[in-house]
Amino acid sequence: MKTRFIPVLALVLALVMGAAFAQKTLTIVRPSDPVALDPQLETTAPGSWVYTQILEPLVSVNQDMEVVPRLATSWEFIDATRLRFTLREGVTFHDGTPFNADAVKYTWDRATNNDPPGRWRSLASAVEGVEVVDEYTVDMVAKAEFGPLLLTAAMPFTGIVSPAAVEALGSDAFTRAPVGTGPFKFVEWRANDRIILEANDDYWRGRPALDQVIFRTVPEEGARMLSLRTGEADMVLLPTPSDLPELEANPDFIVEGAPGVGIFYLAFNLDRPSVADVRVRQAVAHAIDRQLIVDAILEGGGVLAKSVIGEPVFGFKDMQLLERYPYDPERAVELLEEAGYTRGSDGFMRDADGNVLTLDALPSNGRSLKDREIAETLQEFLRQVGIAMNLDFFEWATTFTLMRGETLEYDLNSFTWFTTTADADYTMYSNYVSTELPPSSWNRWRYANADVDEWLKAARASLDPAERAELYGKVQDQLAVDLPAIPLYGSYEVAVLSADVTGFVAHPIQYILDLFPVDKE
Amino acid sequence: MTAYLIRRILATIPLALGVVLVVTISFDLIPGDPAALMLGEFATPEAVAELRTSLGLDASLPVRYVNYVIDITQGDLGLSLRERRPVTDILVETFPYTFQLAFAAITLVLLVGLPLGLLAASRPGSWIDNVIRVTSLAGLSMPVFWTGIVFMVIFSVNLRWLPVSGTGTWRHLILPAVTLALPSIAVIARMTRSTVLEVLQEDFVRTARAKGVANRSLLYKHTLRNALIPVVTVLGLQLGQMLGGAVLTETVFAWPGVGRLTVFAIFNRDFVLMQGLVLVLAMLYVFVNLLVDLSYGLIDPRVRYQ
Repeated sequence: MKTRFIPVLALVLALVMGAAFAQKTLTIVRPSDPVALDPQLETTAPGSWVYTQILEPLVSVNQDMEVVPRLATSWEFIDATRLRFTLREGVTFHDGTPFNADAVKYTWDRATNNDPPGRWRSLASAVEGVEVVDEYTVDMVAKAEFGPLLLTAAMPFTGIVSPAAVEALGSDAFTRAPVGTGPFKFVEWRANDRIILEANDDYWRGRPALDQVIFRTVPEEGARMLSLRTGEADMVLLPTPSDLPELEANPDFIVEGAPGVGIFYLAFNLDRPSVADVRVRQAVAHAIDRQLIVDAILEGGGVLAKSVIGEPVFGFKDMQLLERYPYDPERAVELLEEAGYTRGSDGFMRDADGNVLTLDALPSNGRSLKDREIAETLQEFLRQVGIAMNLDFFEWATTFTLMRGETLEYDLNSFTWFTTTADADYTMYSNYVSTELPPSSWNRWRYANADVDEWLKAARASLDPAERAELYGKVQDQLAVDLPAIPLYGSYEVAVLSADVTGFVAHPIQYILDLFPVDKE
Repeated sequence: MTAYLIRRILATIPLALGVVLVVTISFDLIPGDPAALMLGEFATPEAVAELRTSLGLDASLPVRYVNYVIDITQGDLGLSLRERRPVTDILVETFPYTFQLAFAAITLVLLVGLPLGLLAASRPGSWIDNVIRVTSLAGLSMPVFWTGIVFMVIFSVNLRWLPVSGTGTWRHLILPAVTLALPSIAVIARMTRSTVLEVLQEDFVRTARAKGVANRSLLYKHTLRNALIPVVTVLGLQLGQMLGGAVLTETVFAWPGVGRLTVFAIFNRDFVLMQGLVLVLAMLYVFVNLLVDLSYGLIDPRVRYQ
């Protein structure tokens, strides 16, 4: 009797205590494991979703795209090359050491010194560095007049690291066990399986409602959705778009999304004679039913793109592409005929020498939502107007290398570009200034327009938001005429949550996952 | 026997050098620069060049190969290019998961495949033989990513018996192990059936039968032993495959094993990690086959190791 009683008692006790000390754990599933938990080595979303809980920048962009204070309480421009931040006092890192101006400088120096190789530093290459003014004041100094300085400081990759922890662990080991000031502390990382974070009791905004956050890696799409249905997961990131309508209708789940800052586009290589004629590019634009791609292929996983930058980005202006280039295959054929092509009996357009108008494409493959399916659909759209399209599908490392080559042996390529800082400069300067050519920069279309160069340079140097917005508007109007690229769809940042999760608001910037206000009933 | 063992172990050295050479050369041939991938989209060519130098990627292929071989003789598998930590650490973290999965699966294969094959062979042409043959054909033809999802829907979502994916408890291991084992169970069942039937045609079986040996004893004592050698050989190959190539099962069930690590190494052009992986996998393969060869001696007393 006695021996039987003890295990029963233990069980009852365990149950009672379990209920009393029930931990609020949020389990998040997403497709891939980060490479590291340090922006130095990892600037993709699977990494930043985790480390932005741990490492905080000086300022941040909220869901309404406003700059909000984080480790800085206020800021002012001394001039167009110098931005002064007043830092929050009394904040400590998870290891107990104090946060101050030296830590800010240390973080930026670590990235500048490439120790370990700093991936995000090149995203802020306009910034010279950080200077300490006093213990709680720093100046961020740009190499030249730089209007987007504040939004650059708000990038999720610029989270401040604990200098003491980097020194104690070593810079390489720190990349797998980061120490910052954020709402959650790093606990454990089981590679390719799970990353465990716990609440930071001493967080300066107050302790988060969740006790624990677990990021699980579940590569298979179907398995991710199933784990939400069994309750093994509370949140699915990058859910299957075709599942969303059914989940939205189901009271057990919440679908929370926001139009993002990424644009998937079809880009022309203007160095290639076949697409150098703007009429050919216009014909391609008329040949593609962009609305159909959004409705039938993306199934709610993307929104119709209105410009080469996303709608939430500062400087966005609607390029009116649907009005300018409606889906009209007949108009496309006319334009091609105006450009000197004649349609043969096989339906293909031929030039004066009898060569079929053939475009070689280097499409994004497995990198963006439905990119392969879209490439194959485009091939069919172009065939309808007599353009042959060759698709060379490679895996990402190969595509990336080819795309960034000094010369690009393709007429077309497709790609999603994220405006990480949410400032038009980030995308427009590197993509459209005539001297920003690969391999050092990203003008893959080899686009050259003296006016656009001038506007983009003026917009970069200005501190006046109204003036900058007007200049970016002019650039977008010009791009709609010159058409070096056709924006196809805009990213839609969506998460599916179990209905007992409260307080989560999707962020237009893919890299930011705001878990501080999240609670679980 | 000892001389045989030593010879077999020494023979792995040229094999190891060979597989590492193949990895080194093939990563040199495929496009994609690990340094450019590490530094990301905005990296300047100067920064990439600098990183290439600091990672030792500038050295010529023979130099890199020789350096690597010198390092491995000292037990150093190098630093993963992408993760910036010792390859040894990564392998020590990953291989236990693969071992768990592979051994659970191969145990299932042995416990289920072999008896099924025997059962079928003991009554050739009967309904039970037909059922086993048809279901094993089905087991072979179903892709693991499909069976995996079907199992999840049945056992995790509908019945709520087992977790969907991940690791942690023995219950997490069941679905992936069964999924991984299924095609091999089919192979072993069919293999056992056909070799047993073949042996049953042999003269000594007829003699034994004539001498009045009971059916049961004939099957288990006289026939099975003789039929086991090809079955064990295939079993060894299956285990070798499970150790290195369970990518699909690992992906479907979010199992953090060697298969997914291999895919990561390839996509990130992390050839240092890949060299370490291939080296260990080749050694494991050799070891498993050595065990298979040694088991021949247990199964068939006529086998001698010289």
